[in-house]
Amino acid sequence: MKPLLGTFYLLGMLVPGWLGYDRSLTQQRQEVVGKVVSPWRILETYPYNRYHPMGEIYQWMSEIREKYTEVVTQHFLGMTYESRPMYYLKISQPSNNPKKIIWMDCGIHAREWIAPAFCQWFVKEILQNYKDSSRIRRLLKNLDFYVLPVLNIDGYIYTWTTDRLWRKSRSSHNNGTCFGTDLNRNFDASWCSIGASHNCESLTFCGTGPMSEPETKAVSSFIESKKENIACFLTMHSYGQLILVPYGYTTNKSNNHEELIQVGQKAANALKAKHGTNYRVGSSADILYATSGSSRDWARDIGIPFSYTFELRDNGTYGFVLPETQIQATCEETMEAVLSVLDDVYEKYWYTNSAIKAKSTALVLSLLMSIMSLL
Amino acid sequence: MQLRRQPLSAPRPGDTRPAAQRLAVPLLLLLALQGAAASGEPEDSGWLQDAEPSSRLLSQAARAALHFFNFRAASPSALQVLANVLDGRAWVNQKKEYKFDLVFTTEFYRAEEGEKRLGTCSAQVFFRNDKPRPAVNVTCTQLIKKERRQEEDYQLYKLMKQLKSPLNAVRIPDSHGYIAPSLRPIWNLAFLGSSYVMWQKTTPFLHYFMSQISSVKQWKTNDDAIDFDYTVLLHEFSTQEIIPCRIHLVWYPGKPLKVKYHCQERQTPEEGSGTEEGSAVALTELSNF
Repeated sequence: MKPLLGTFYLLGMLVPGWLGYDRSLTQQRQEVVGKVVSPWRILETYPYNRYHPMGEIYQWMSEIREKYTEVVTQHFLGMTYESRPMYYLKISQPSNNPKKIIWMDCGIHAREWIAPAFCQWFVKEILQNYKDSSRIRRLLKNLDFYVLPVLNIDGYIYTWTTDRLWRKSRSSHNNGTCFGTDLNRNFDASWCSIGASHNCESLTFCGTGPMSEPETKAVSSFIESKKENIACFLTMHSYGQLILVPYGYTTNKSNNHEELIQVGQKAANALKAKHGTNYRVGSSADILYATSGSSRDWARDIGIPFSYTFELRDNGTYGFVLPETQIQATCEETMEAVLSVLDDVYEKYWYTNSAIKAKSTALVLSLLMSIMSLL
Repeated sequence: MQLRRQPLSAPRPGDTRPAAQRLAVPLLLLLALQGAAASGEPEDSGWLQDAEPSSRLLSQAARAALHFFNFRAASPSALQVLANVLDGRAWVNQKKEYKFDLVFTTEFYRAEEGEKRLGTCSAQVFFRNDKPRPAVNVTCTQLIKKERRQEEDYQLYKLMKQLKSPLNAVRIPDSHGYIAPSLRPIWNLAFLGSSYVMWQKTTPFLHYFMSQISSVKQWKTNDDAIDFDYTVLLHEFSTQEIIPCRIHLVWYPGKPLKVKYHCQERQTPEEGSGTEEGSAVALTELSNF
């Protein structure tokens, strides 16, 4: 099965790559697209503070799955427009406990390289620490993490081979004269009503219809199938240093808006405590701009209670082209923010159990103390 | 959005006005005229105050003010970026023109981590429909002393003079965000030129960031001044578009910046271009725009 998968994705990456590329980048492209063997086949030396091309990320996923078999499984989500496989990693501590799902996706916009870097960092942190960290152990008791390191794989590869500032997918439109849908305008959430364009040339092209793109279909059908069990939907972007809650398509607020803001603000505080970076928290329509068809809004509208967009570093100094020297600090602070959200989600669902235990313990203790004082 | 009529604000009590930046006389006059008009006839000004201006709108106006400030200071070693908007008030009129009164903090635009000195600026920004660029009146605290700034500019200038023509430098920064130390002066100077362009192009609905220098057409240092012809990719935030702008600037430490530009807009039918007015030295004719 494994060699078959390997051949499958190798072929899947190579074949579309030959269509219409810049000849001067041939060498670089071949290395990037065909790359599966790398200097650091031992996972211990994988540089999380560097950006990685898609071939290396595919390989990293395999190695993670192989090394952490007791908690990690790799799953197929669907195919991209250019026929590349989309995989997510599931991190789950086997048990009989009831579980809620935490979903995290990165790289829905191709040029936002720091996002896939964070997804990899997140996975690494959980797996390297779940045995020693009581905080992470607790989370894994009742939460399963589903991580999609790169959602817009075709676009991501394109930023490595051709255009570093490409944003959209690589779907073909208007008889091959125009490329790419903005995948974060393609979800079925007030689709193309505002802050998006019907014009393929636009960088916010919403697609030919809601969920028209294979990448959007792959993610949405999966999330839809699991929605009863998904507690938290996180989608990672850059840049702007923001934690965004629904909605973008209206200034109306979700019915749990206050709670989302509170949890978000706590996360921003935890983030700032790490390296002093300032994040703002608010609804997309309030503090960013109006948008429709976003995955975050769609997730909230199908009933997932905690739905956030993270816009990572920076504030515009380097923007999308964030220096590698900032990857570590960005990931460390973002980790604090995400863990803060997860703690709050955990406590929301399992607080009653622990609260009852705490109260009964307190009751027993106070009884004991009053008895002892009488003696 | 709640609206109420109010004239343009007078300076608030406790408003500190530190050593003033040298401002262009026409702008001062404009402000004085506006102030006079507003205080004289508040009812006719047609300005309604927006009681809850969005932080995005205030930030956009603050950035426009900063772009103008950086351009006027013409100091590639003392570029500042927006940190936080502390206070902001906004007015809009029937013609959908906007006025802002802002106080915001700034940081040095530096590569090195940990350089977290904050400056403060106060600004009035006026977006008019008939003029392409916002009128700005801005005063900032001095982040570094004038002498030191001039010295650093001169050091930067000497470095630039020694630089061999970087025409083969493909992109600055590269895809991984890396700028070679020897190329950093180019980046700073490019940002200075881009500040002029971004000031010109900012509206209440459009604001820009510099993403990458995509090519260097010319880097001449044989005469006294640095003559720099390059293409920069600007990122417009609300449309997410990448706008390539060809910029040609001439810089000498302590002198005002001379700059011409031409941007390739995909959306708008006309393409944006402009020249800095009142330059004493005529720029070489640019043939392939």
